[in-house]
Amino acid sequence: MASLEPRIHYEADLDPSFAREIIASSGSPSLMSCIQCGTCSSACPLSLYMDYTPRRIIAMVREGFKKEVLRSRTIWLCASCYACTVECPKQIRITDVMYALKRYAIREGVHPPRFPIPVLARLFYDTVRRRGRLTESWVVARLYLQTMPLRIPGMSTLGWKLLRRGRFPLLPEGIRDRRGLQRVLRVVERREVAR
Amino acid sequence: MRAHEIYPNGGPRIGVYVCHCGFNIAGKVNVREVVEFAKTLPFVVVAREYKFMCSDPGQEMIREDVREHRLDRVVVAACSPSLHEATFRRALEQAGQNPFFFQMVNIREHVSWVTEDPREATEKAKALVAAAVRRVIFHEPLQRRRVPVKDRVLVVGGGIAGIHAALTLADAGKHVYLVEREPTIGGHMAMFDKTFPTLDCAACILTPKMSQVAAHPNITLWTYSEVIQVEGFVGNFRVRVRRKPRYVIEELCVGCLQCIDACVYKDARFPDEFNLGLGKRKPIYIPFPQATPRVVLIDPETCIWFKTGKCKQTCLEACERAAIDFKQQERIEEIEVGAIILATGFKTFDARRIPEYGYGKYPNVYTALEVERLVNASGPTGGEVRLRDGRIPKRVGIIHCVGSRDERFNRYCSRVCCMYSLKLAHLIKERTGAEVYNFYIDMRTPGKGYEEFYDRLLQEGVHFIRGRVAEVTDWAITPDEEGKLIIRVEDTLVGAVRRIPVDMVVLAVGLEPQPDADEVRRMFNISCSKEGFFLERHPKLAPVSTFTDGIFLAGACQGPKDIPDSVAQAGAAAAEALALIDKGFVELEPNTAYIVEALCSGCKTCIGLCPYNAISFDEARMIAVINEALCKGCGTCVAACPSGAARQHLFEDAQIFQEIEGVLAYV
Ligand SMILES: Cc1cc2nc3c(=O)[nH]c(=O)nc-3n(C[C@H](O)[C@H](O)[C@H](O)COP(=O)(O)OP(=O)(O)OC[C@H]3O[C@@H](n4cnc5c(N)ncnc54)[C@H](O)[C@@H]3O)c2cc1C
Ligand code: SF4
Ligand code: SF4
Ligand code: SF4
Ligand code: SF4
Repeated sequence: MASLEPRIHYEADLDPSFAREIIASSGSPSLMSCIQCGTCSSACPLSLYMDYTPRRIIAMVREGFKKEVLRSRTIWLCASCYACTVECPKQIRITDVMYALKRYAIREGVHPPRFPIPVLARLFYDTVRRRGRLTESWVVARLYLQTMPLRIPGMSTLGWKLLRRGRFPLLPEGIRDRRGLQRVLRVVERREVAR
Repeated sequence: MRAHEIYPNGGPRIGVYVCHCGFNIAGKVNVREVVEFAKTLPFVVVAREYKFMCSDPGQEMIREDVREHRLDRVVVAACSPSLHEATFRRALEQAGQNPFFFQMVNIREHVSWVTEDPREATEKAKALVAAAVRRVIFHEPLQRRRVPVKDRVLVVGGGIAGIHAALTLADAGKHVYLVEREPTIGGHMAMFDKTFPTLDCAACILTPKMSQVAAHPNITLWTYSEVIQVEGFVGNFRVRVRRKPRYVIEELCVGCLQCIDACVYKDARFPDEFNLGLGKRKPIYIPFPQATPRVVLIDPETCIWFKTGKCKQTCLEACERAAIDFKQQERIEEIEVGAIILATGFKTFDARRIPEYGYGKYPNVYTALEVERLVNASGPTGGEVRLRDGRIPKRVGIIHCVGSRDERFNRYCSRVCCMYSLKLAHLIKERTGAEVYNFYIDMRTPGKGYEEFYDRLLQEGVHFIRGRVAEVTDWAITPDEEGKLIIRVEDTLVGAVRRIPVDMVVLAVGLEPQPDADEVRRMFNISCSKEGFFLERHPKLAPVSTFTDGIFLAGACQGPKDIPDSVAQAGAAAAEALALIDKGFVELEPNTAYIVEALCSGCKTCIGLCPYNAISFDEARMIAVINEALCKGCGTCVAACPSGAARQHLFEDAQIFQEIEGVLAYV
């Protein structure tokens, strides 16, 4: 788990352009007008499990605490429920900021080690991109292999039950015109990189 | 003498009224019991209780009883007479009785609020009511005195508050004397470039008002002057003003400034007070281009002629209007006014008192007032924000609450510094493009358009770090801290202790009373609050009045406030002064002393003792005579007269003794 290291913070360790990048990629210029009221943190159903509350994430983004923010669990725990965004008195799109941070973290390849959620996001997208459909059995199997292999034996009874009910297909599903889909997604990806 | 001896045919008819004051009194005192007790006292015809005696129905109850029961004495047991004595006297008057056949008993401040035990409180209330009933029997019918009022007003202090008050009164046709200590009016506002939250240019809105003052036929403007003595009372103050010599004849000088050019000092080399020492001036100077009046002055401390008696006096030769007068002496003016408005403003906190912030030690630590001069287009740098070594700062830290909200210095919040810090952050960023950091404890922006201004600053990308700065130091740890001032602070929003290197530190110094506020207060016979600002009569209902009738307050001398509030208060003070002098007279309490001529032995003891010189000696009749208009009812002569000839209305011996006996008889 990432945390603020217990030491003094020197300005040299911070990234003064971080806030600008996140504002651009989240499309939320009002991020700068955050008054640190904490509504987002108290509205968030998951802040209980977060290392930094959403309010603190905003403050840290603004002040350029890039390393700490990208390594935090908070951005991955965000369930995209938009509760924060609905209530924020400054109408800051916090959920979109969380997305922007997730994208940034994936691009930079930084996230908490052995933390399943970023891996799940990646696998989810890979599967859909390749086959046009999500085959949950494949994604889950690969997720466990990559992040928590030791827990596979414990899950075997559940797997067996699902298999017997036809809920755990062994063959990956797919759509017909996969190339067409891939062409579409490539356009989207180029746009994202350009942003 | 016993009451029934004076009133052989039935005696006086007294009504007693006991107020609940909601729960304020009834929560502690058993009001019913006090009423029942009052009914047993001699001459009491009716006794009643009521929730709020001061309310309309309460007053009506008294008026009705006076008419129906032919009451000729009334006692009300309620709150302090300073609150409602006038109310109940008026009720008596309306019912056709003399208003001075009345006595008020304070069973709130003196009883229910200060006595813990309900039993004791009730007993005390009964004793006090008994005393008042016995006293009021000996009251006499009195008439209020009417004294004419001088229809001129003195305004002390020529900041924005004083200017606004003076102009309001002058426009209403009243003559105003505006006395300002400095060589020019304008006060602090004249030092600013822009004013929050609208960022309008201070000079553009202030200088027209300043020249209006100078040109107004109803305003006598005395700058470089001070009030040295105040005598008299509401409607009739006699004031002495000392006009310091500027060594330049005000009536002749037209402000061409040729003398300044001609001074033997070719360069300005003395620290300039108006620019807080950030600029330089010559011995003969004008504080700033728009100074009002536009008249130069000579500073004898730096002028060679005054220091050595030897100078070519090139200034004197240069002046075509022969306005320079090295022999000018101070002058004392005497004026009479009906009302006085104090608008003496504030001073800023001395930042040297907080050594952690390094003011006076590090040249690049500035006070906010100094920075106001730096950002000012007519300031020492022409509006460029440059450090003392000429560099333009790239990173600037503004520290809030310097000297405010701190038990070591001032407990109160100075109210304007959050807003002026935002203003300065904006101006510095605009002029230099620097990264600006604001270090604050709470952001206080309560005012029209103020929160919006804060939001604007947030969006401009100014850093807001919540945390009180612990120290400013030049001790660098990392290479990028070399040669900078480092601000050490806990960023309580992020949850980290940070070291932030900057080129310039601005201290948002708080507002304090003027250093001479206590002397001024004594001279005008008003009070100060604990922190030293002038005290208003009531914080909510009489915010511009003082405890001395006829003296009003305006602006920051009453407490920290911004320009909009100062101007609003100045308007209110002007209206109060106008209401007073426009009426033409004041009514004074008939609590004056008088001499029983037959008893006066002519010993003259009283004459020297009267602090108001109200007593003279009638040589023909060999007795002392009191001038009622001058007597303030202090009672000094009454206590001192060896023959018992000096007496005082409302404090007659019989009244006082009966009151004492009343309390004691009951206890
Ligand atoms: C750095 C700073 C920036 C500020 N910026 C803003 C702003 O942008 N907007 C805003 O609304 N407010 C601002 N304020 C607040 C503003 O300065 C005050 O609200 C305003 O000056 C109060 O006016 P005043 O007339 O009561 O007092 P002052 O301006 O202090 O004027 C008092 C006058 O009385 C004179 N005087 C004092 N004692 C005597 C005496 N015994 N006899 C004769 N004359 C006397 C003084 O010489 C002075 O001329 C700022 C304050 C500071 C410190
Ligand atoms: S609710 Fe909005 S304004 Fe309040 S702390 Fe969260 S982001 Fe900032
Ligand atoms: S959108 Fe994310 S950050 Fe916002 S309340 Fe929901 S879980 Fe919390
Ligand atoms: S007397 Fe001399 S020093 Fe003084 S102001 Fe005149 S020229 Fe300057
Ligand atoms: S106005 Fe702001 S800076 Fe000034 S004392 Fe109050 S909280 Fe502190």
